[in-house]
Amino acid sequence: MIKVSQLLKTVPTADGDLDILGGIELEIEAGMSAAIVGASGSGKSTLLGLLAGMDTATAGQIWLDGECLSDLDEDQRARLRAEKIGFVFQSFQLLPALTAKENVMLPLELAGIAGPGPIAERFLTEVGLESRLEHYPTTLSGGEQQRVAIARAFAREPRVLFADEPTGNLDTRTGERVINLLFELNARTSTTLVLVTHDERLAQRCDRRFAMTAGALCAL
Amino acid sequence: MSSSLSLTGKLLVREWRSGELGILLLALVLAVSVVVGVSSFVSRLQAALLSESARFLAADMVLVSRTPMPEVWSAKAEEMGLRITLGMGFPSMAVADADHMALVSIKAVSDGYPLRGELQWSSEPYGTILPGGVIPRAGEAWLAPRLFALLGIELGDPVFVGEAELTVSGAIRAEPDATTAVFGFGPRLLMNTDDIPLTGVIQPGSRIEYRLLLGGSAEAIEAFSEWVTPELGQGQRLDSVAGSQPRIGDTLDRAKGFLLLAGSLAVVLAAAAITLASRRFGERHTQYVAILKSLGAESGYIAGLYGSSLVYMGLFGAAVGCCLGWVLQEAFIQVLGDLLPVQPGAAGWQPAFIGVVTAMVCLVFFAWPPLRRLGAASPLRVLRADIGVAEAQRPLDFVLGGLAIIGLMWWYSGSALITAAVAVGLMIVIALGFSVARLLLSGSKTVGGFAGSVWRVALAGLQRRGRASALQMVIFAMAIMLMLLLSVVRSSLISQWQAQLPPDAPNHFLLNLAPEERQSLQDFFALNHIPSEVMYPMTRGRVFSVNDEPLPQWEQVEAEDAPRQREANFTWSDELPPGNALLDGRWWSADDESSWVSVEEDFAKAIGASVGDRLALRIGADSFEVVVGSIRQVDWQSMRPNFFMVFPRHVLERYPGMYMTSFRLPQGQKPLLNELVKVLPTVTIIELDIVIREMRSVVDQVARALELVLLVILLAGGLVLISGVRSSLDTRLRESALMRALGARRGLVLGALWVEFLVLGGLAGALASVGAEVAAWALQTQVFEMSWTPTPVMWWLGPVAGAMIVGALGVWSSRRVVSVPPVVLLREV
Ligand SMILES: Nc1ncnc2c1ncn2[C@@H]1O[C@H](COP(=O)(O)OP(=O)(O)OP(=O)(O)O)[C@@H](O)[C@H]1O
Ligand SMILES: [Mg+2]
Repeated sequence: MIKVSQLLKTVPTADGDLDILGGIELEIEAGMSAAIVGASGSGKSTLLGLLAGMDTATAGQIWLDGECLSDLDEDQRARLRAEKIGFVFQSFQLLPALTAKENVMLPLELAGIAGPGPIAERFLTEVGLESRLEHYPTTLSGGEQQRVAIARAFAREPRVLFADEPTGNLDTRTGERVINLLFELNARTSTTLVLVTHDERLAQRCDRRFAMTAGALCAL
Repeated sequence: MSSSLSLTGKLLVREWRSGELGILLLALVLAVSVVVGVSSFVSRLQAALLSESARFLAADMVLVSRTPMPEVWSAKAEEMGLRITLGMGFPSMAVADADHMALVSIKAVSDGYPLRGELQWSSEPYGTILPGGVIPRAGEAWLAPRLFALLGIELGDPVFVGEAELTVSGAIRAEPDATTAVFGFGPRLLMNTDDIPLTGVIQPGSRIEYRLLLGGSAEAIEAFSEWVTPELGQGQRLDSVAGSQPRIGDTLDRAKGFLLLAGSLAVVLAAAAITLASRRFGERHTQYVAILKSLGAESGYIAGLYGSSLVYMGLFGAAVGCCLGWVLQEAFIQVLGDLLPVQPGAAGWQPAFIGVVTAMVCLVFFAWPPLRRLGAASPLRVLRADIGVAEAQRPLDFVLGGLAIIGLMWWYSGSALITAAVAVGLMIVIALGFSVARLLLSGSKTVGGFAGSVWRVALAGLQRRGRASALQMVIFAMAIMLMLLLSVVRSSLISQWQAQLPPDAPNHFLLNLAPEERQSLQDFFALNHIPSEVMYPMTRGRVFSVNDEPLPQWEQVEAEDAPRQREANFTWSDELPPGNALLDGRWWSADDESSWVSVEEDFAKAIGASVGDRLALRIGADSFEVVVGSIRQVDWQSMRPNFFMVFPRHVLERYPGMYMTSFRLPQGQKPLLNELVKVLPTVTIIELDIVIREMRSVVDQVARALELVLLVILLAGGLVLISGVRSSLDTRLRESALMRALGARRGLVLGALWVEFLVLGGLAGALASVGAEVAAWALQTQVFEMSWTPTPVMWWLGPVAGAMIVGALGVWSSRRVVSVPPVVLLREV
């Protein structure tokens, strides 16, 4: 499903080029779940962005569901994202002008799926936000916003789901529910899960675990 | 995909609440409505001006003939949908009794006269003007007021013209075609054409002029003119309105120039507001677009989304703008309506076309560029907020926008001068603005740190946002400049107009005063406490050759403006008459013995003469030669006696001449004129007060129309200021909220906001004064042909008003910084 070889990411900074990722090798089969752990600033979010085709690598290859990302242009990658990828961002990224429900409906509509309303309601109910459907993001707490973001990523039932610290802002019980949800999705639709997390319980439930240290990845 | 539009559509529609779309739409509607309103009003005004000129013919066109005209001509004219009325004119004797007779200029008119303009009459000589729409009935005659004294008759008395006996039933005070229908020099006697056969004056060889007056649509007039021209024979001609300048034409012309200027400024201001609003909209949406793209939206989809929303906005703005523009021009017509002689015709579709083009240019060149690159925004922004926000507009966009706006102004105002004046003023403001900003805002880095006084916080804030602050200041300066400019031009136009009609200016002309009558006139004035003015000697003469080249007679010339013999009033003066300006040559000194003449510029053109040319003249039976010493410009709008030809005293003194003068008579003393014509029965009095009253009402009404436009422009300027303030609102709110969260007092935050906006506004106002002064100079001297004086009041009003308005708007827009708890703000922005 996902295959990465010799992935390199360098960014220019004021004091010369900075290597964020160096020589990443990674392979995750379809339907598997993988957890990436590591210290803050080690490059986890950067890797996730690359895997989801939102950024371009400095060198190396990424294959996602048989397609080589570096061969695709921005619009082709956008189409790939619309069709196959779900993403839960570390900083949520909800649209402030849309209600919780509309935020969840948005990717469904972009993918041309009919009747997005009931689907959105179902997923928001699953993350415990059935009473917050018509609320705007600014009136939601950080944890509630995160759950809307998760519902939005799930609703598409994507082939691959990337989640950047999906339980970072949640209390233990809600965190538990979200984790269960993730693995239910994984089991039901054989969605490939790629998670970045500091949560030991979450990491433990994954099929594979990787550790990121200063831009280098090693399997645990 | 219709459902997919609904959510993203909703996203845009809800952004309405953020204010930018509102400003964008408002600016668009404003620009379109002003442009449509002004241009349709101006084109209707143009049509009205033409019919105003038609007043001088009392018709749209006049067929003049020395012999009776064939019946078919009038039949054909009526068949072509023209209104017609026949008139005749000839000099003759009017006889009251054996002792009282006078040479008069008879005009006979029939029903329908005049087709244009109004006949002014009263029942008593110099009595109250009565409503128009009537002419003397058969068997009646109306006399020029002085004829009553000359003939020693009163209302109801009989007067004989040839063999016809007519009853005097009124006094004729003003005829629309008094200057074009002249039959000899005597005072006017107006009668009905029905009585002409009774007079028995129509005999072979009698000098009768037949006049067929024609009125109707421009097309019908044109068609008839084409039909009849080949039919014209010896002594027959066609007079039309083209070329004659109405009295109020100059005032309305300048008003038109002003309106077009205002319209252009509205477009510039709207373009600025649209750019600012669109920029901020684009900035806010970069993040949204990144999210949409991370969710799989393609760049084409994004471009389509924003593009189509602009198209809808353009359609809506153009439609609403056209409607409002129509309302606006109706308002103009309402304000100015009663001074236009006829109901002005429809403006046609041209203004709507201009409006739609304006909307398109505004959107394509000003709203679209900041949004165009949204589609290219990187989805990576959702991961890292600092990812390159591609500069919303590139220099090329500004250059293209500038060219577009200049092109639009030019096309729309039809005047390169107006466009250039405004463009130069704006460029000065922009250039000065960015250099001042560089110097003050980003120059010294000495004011550092957040803590401490309000001033330090404010200046640090301005410096931190150096580029944005500079742009903001320049935008403010442009808006203030355009508002100042229009106010200045408006008030100087109005004061200039009013100066032309000072309330104590002479309002009557007195002509045909014999030299020996001068003393009795002066005595009469002294007795009645009327201040007397200069008396000008006046002799009528003719120019018949230039440099020994004989000029053809009037009738022999085909081409409109080929040189020809001209008759004119001559006067002598040792000084350049007041209100005249020397264009070429020199004025003679009092002891100069040579035979000079000073010629009015248009007259010189008409006879084809310039400085140094020898003119052969004829006064009565004498001929003599003079040399053109100078060419003069005469202010025909002034209510002073003006002359085409002015000579040194020694040249003209030996010819017998009459005198003319002017005097001021208050409304209540009008009956004195009756006594005056009894004392001096041969003089002609021209009642200018009727004209002056008319002109004054024109000025008043035009001034009101200008005020209306000024108001609209101030509104547009206000919109620019608001969107300018809003352009930095997000960062300012965030920073202020952070400062409060970190413990800054409300007073400090608020004070710093005040200082920031006061400084920006004050600087902008000062720059604006400079730009406005330059543009006002260019406009007043080059476009409106007025004198220019600096406007010192603007030099303090600009900065003070700029600081106050921008300060108030700025603090009001960011009032939430202090009224809302900082956590709420930090969560929102
Ligand atoms: N465009 C960039 N320019 C400069 N530095 C960058 C850029 N992108 C990432 N970095 C740096 O690369 C490092 C890795 O960033 P990344 O966001 O991937 O960390 P992370 O492992 O997700 O950390 P956290 O657990 O805190 O989220 C950081 O030190 C970050 O500052
Ligand atoms: Mg991270």
